[in-house]
Amino acid sequence: MSDRPKIQLGTLFRRSVSLLTAFTFLVLSVTGVIAFILPFSIDIIGLHALMGFVFVVLIGLHVFNNSRPLKSYLHSKALWVTVTITAALTGLFWWQPAPVKTVLGWSGNLGPAIERFEMNEDDMVFDYAPSPDYKIRLNVKTGSSYETSPPPQVAIWLENQGGYHIKTLLAPGSSGETPYYTFKHAGWEKAKSEAEKGVKIDAVSQPTPNGSFDPADYILPTDSKESTPYALFLEINQPGDKQASLVYSVGIDNSLPRSFQLLDLRGYPKREEDDVDGKETWGLYYVDESFVTALELIDSALLTIDRGK
Amino acid sequence: MESNRRNFLQHSLLGAAGLGLGVASTSEVRAQALPGGLEPEVTDNVDVLVVGGGTAGHVAAIQAGRAGASVLLVERGSQLGGTMTTGGVAYPGLFDAWGKQVIAGIGWEIVKESVEMDGGNFPDFAKVPQRHYMNQVFTNQFLYAILAEEKCEQAGVRIAYHEFPQSVKKGEKGWEVDCVGFGTKRRVNCKQIIDCTGGAEVCGLIGLARLREDERQPGSYLYMLGKAHEPGRNQIHRLYVHGADSTNSRTVTHANLTGRKSILAEARKKKGRLMHLQPETGFRESYRIDGETLITVNDYRDGRLFEDAVCYAFYPVDLHTKSGVKPEPLKPGKVPTVPLRALIPKGSRNIIVAGRSVSSDRLANSGLRVQASCMGMGQAAGAAAALAAKAETTPLEVPLKELHALLREHGAIIPGDV
Repeated sequence: MSDRPKIQLGTLFRRSVSLLTAFTFLVLSVTGVIAFILPFSIDIIGLHALMGFVFVVLIGLHVFNNSRPLKSYLHSKALWVTVTITAALTGLFWWQPAPVKTVLGWSGNLGPAIERFEMNEDDMVFDYAPSPDYKIRLNVKTGSSYETSPPPQVAIWLENQGGYHIKTLLAPGSSGETPYYTFKHAGWEKAKSEAEKGVKIDAVSQPTPNGSFDPADYILPTDSKESTPYALFLEINQPGDKQASLVYSVGIDNSLPRSFQLLDLRGYPKREEDDVDGKETWGLYYVDESFVTALELIDSALLTIDRGK
Repeated sequence: MESNRRNFLQHSLLGAAGLGLGVASTSEVRAQALPGGLEPEVTDNVDVLVVGGGTAGHVAAIQAGRAGASVLLVERGSQLGGTMTTGGVAYPGLFDAWGKQVIAGIGWEIVKESVEMDGGNFPDFAKVPQRHYMNQVFTNQFLYAILAEEKCEQAGVRIAYHEFPQSVKKGEKGWEVDCVGFGTKRRVNCKQIIDCTGGAEVCGLIGLARLREDERQPGSYLYMLGKAHEPGRNQIHRLYVHGADSTNSRTVTHANLTGRKSILAEARKKKGRLMHLQPETGFRESYRIDGETLITVNDYRDGRLFEDAVCYAFYPVDLHTKSGVKPEPLKPGKVPTVPLRALIPKGSRNIIVAGRSVSSDRLANSGLRVQASCMGMGQAAGAAAALAAKAETTPLEVPLKELHALLREHGAIIPGDV
């Protein structure tokens, strides 16, 4: 006979709860990190959420099992310090100031949640909320020649009043179908990279009084009276329709706020002679009678901006 | 002896050129003796008197002349073209809207000829401009002024510079207008007056109702500091002259003195060479007429097609203020029109206006006042006045069909044509 003491049922229960709590915490940690890094996956997020519920139950049992020492913590000096730290972090993560937003933006999952695009056969809806008090929704009602298979290529971006790209809201799946966006975006990439190298950039800094690479300077100005207008552009192209892409746009002016605005057809892109530096140049041209079904891809495009109070 | 002296001068000049020194050339022309040129008082009997030779006035005069009317053009300055030449805003626009040309005719003819002669470039009207001003046409201001004079001469228009009406009275068959210039008193008996003064000054002399704001848009004084001005190629520096008012000689003098004083101060501060200076401020606003109809900003924004429309106008709503300007582009497809009744002072006969004093509210006027639109209005007024003079009637009673036909004959675009 062994001299080892028998394990009591109560002790077995406590150890099981503790180990289960540790293992589920491990799963939650790993899936949490994966969910932050990778794009949205129902497998990962589902596992993380459901395991979270199990974890909540286990935490409850853990607290029950360790109620006596935990009670003693309530009389500890550490109580108020920890309550204060928790409240501060809760407040910080709830209000999500710019640095927190930046960190969230690094997430492959949460970043796109700030900018969401949905497409179905009736409409395309794009949501972009750079701040809780500034929500942009673009609702594009599809037209009679819109097809879902293959779906049209869509690019959405913002330009400053000098006509320079300042932020891509939706990049197309295939850049070859939306050449105007590609041209504008490439110009911005080049200007930004040259600015980072310290080269003086006329293209971005000169046309507007507050030329900037930061879209927040245009979208969320600290003083709306000092803000300069910017514009939202949408380029759409149905692959295989033998017609050029079409570009729609609307001007946005925070000093003259409008809640609802319709996008207007601007034209179609056409490659022009390269500029003096040999750079590829595209311009927009008024549509002519050669455009038929392309004009019916979109019924209407409504921009809604909720600026809070 | 004379021959030797000429040889000496020629050799001296060649030697200077050989040394790389700049030599100004001198050529010669003789002004023929002007019949009665020394008489202090003259009288003219004409069908149409055009007052003001700016962007609307010279076009009005040429159109009336080409339509067969005898025309006298009185201008207070010393050249034609107004803000385009004397003001130096030599990039007229907008002649196009939404991919099509909407203003053509005599103004466009002179712009086109001067750009072609100058080897300049035209904007591609099929291309969507990034900003509205990109479709303005860079024009050589000096060439434009001379070509406008040539077109006047070819149309039989006589020009009287440095003169302005002092009194206007109803005469037996129209008007008796007394003009004064230095050393000249001129009595003009005419059937029709076209007031292209920019401030409806003739209407003011007659006592017709005019509209005026408490505050006016700033004028622009154009100059070039530190860099050479290339006419027809580049835009030049602009100084906003707030409070600039073209109402009379005193307010114009005050605006010019204010502008030039500021430019001198800048030249001293920057120690740059003053390479170009326009002789006058480019004014934007003074009086407008209270016409038979008034173009409202809603008419303008909506591109209302008036039943008596005589020309298009196209430009953003563009009100310059103390804090600058924020143009409000028109919505796609919208092209405003100008009705004949907006050129006729309310209750008047035998007088018509053209240009920025068109009957309109202030915001509509901020878009209507630009040069291409003024040219379109000028041509319409010239045609209406010529037809009225011929038919012994008033411009408002000219059959619209005849007016449109005459304008089309001279290259103008009538609303609905495009």
